[in-house]
Amino acid sequence: METDNELVTRVRGGDDEAFRLLVERHTRPIYRAAYRITANAADADDIVQETFLRAYRAIERFDARASFTTWIHRIAINCSLDLIDSRKRRDGRLNHDEDLAAIASSTASPDRIVHGLEMQRAVASAMDRLSGNERTAFVLRHFEGMPLDEIGQVLGTQLNATKNTVFRAVKKLREQLQPFTGSLI
Amino acid sequence: MSHLTQEEFVLSYYSEPELGADRSEHLAHCEACIAELAGLASVLDRVTPVEVPDPGDDYEARVWNRLHWRLRGEKKRDRFTWVKSALIAATVVIAFLAGVLWSPSRPVVESSRIATTTATSTPLVDSSTRRPVDSTRILLVVVGEHFDQSERVLVELTNLTPNGKTDITTERERAEELLAGNRLYRRTALDRGEEDVATLLDELEPVLLQIAHSPSHVSAEELRAMQKRVETKGLVFKLRVVRADVNRTAATSTNI
Repeated sequence: METDNELVTRVRGGDDEAFRLLVERHTRPIYRAAYRITANAADADDIVQETFLRAYRAIERFDARASFTTWIHRIAINCSLDLIDSRKRRDGRLNHDEDLAAIASSTASPDRIVHGLEMQRAVASAMDRLSGNERTAFVLRHFEGMPLDEIGQVLGTQLNATKNTVFRAVKKLREQLQPFTGSLI
Repeated sequence: MSHLTQEEFVLSYYSEPELGADRSEHLAHCEACIAELAGLASVLDRVTPVEVPDPGDDYEARVWNRLHWRLRGEKKRDRFTWVKSALIAATVVIAFLAGVLWSPSRPVVESSRIATTTATSTPLVDSSTRRPVDSTRILLVVVGEHFDQSERVLVELTNLTPNGKTDITTERERAEELLAGNRLYRRTALDRGEEDVATLLDELEPVLLQIAHSPSHVSAEELRAMQKRVETKGLVFKLRVVRADVNRTAATSTNI
């Protein structure tokens, strides 16, 4: 099987079939990451399209020494951040304080809250309160298991800045989810 | 030895090697730190991955089918280089303005009337063919193409990885070419009362200027600054929105 970089070389030579193979290979991971960042299937689908379109336009710039997976993820993350920004500008930040307060004061038992749908909703609300970069860094570290240095490559940030972004995300999540776990901060 | 910091607890939770052997050793024997880590884990363990809906077995094929059409459009567009497009666009506007503002066969048209032409029932008339000319539509079509070209430059710039010295010669040259058209379109849009278009062109100009006046090779810091400027202003999104509006208005105008 040809490597990603070999396919990129073919694409640069005008071979669309090679690009189709790259699309086939990377569509699902990008869709998954985009969905986890945007929490919306239609948005994730748009991001997949936009990502490959941008990749195609910029394929000449891809550095063959780098990982195509990291590169395409970086583009997908940029698309996701653009979309989150535009959505926030368009709709304004959703106010989840009421959601969280309502969930926290729910009469359901703590176990049910923690393990039930309410917890998922609380997590989603808390995630939505993160900035685009924080959310992305956290998703990549926590859900995708990506090492910090690779997240830095995807976000275009230095290791220290990447770590701080993850730390901030964890701190915010912990503060938001505190009422549901009973743990001390 | 001091207790772990909150940041070190996070590193420990994710088993990051950076924590260091001495800190790991402390954590293994310190009850307070163990309890604190357990507290963190009790929260993070509950942040489980969102269940991603299955997009279907044929998802890759569907993505490719849609993408394929768009790529074909890209290729067609690439047959005309961006330079040709910009020159053609500029020529059309200049020729149009010259035709409207200087017409030997009829009195000089007041600029206020030009601006309100689309709102009146008396359209401007092409002096040679005597057929009505939808001046705003011509402007919008040309500006739509300009926005598209600008968006491509900005997207390519924001996708570059800040790493050592980055070559931005292509973006720089494109920005330089787009700059001349940008000024002309902004003035024309203002004359025509297309305020949204003029405002966006106004926001675009300093960014194009910065790119056009940058060195061919920029440091990671300089590149990041440029990317941040583009992202902070939300220019790519704005270009997309206004371009869509412009194209829609231009199309509507054709149907009228």
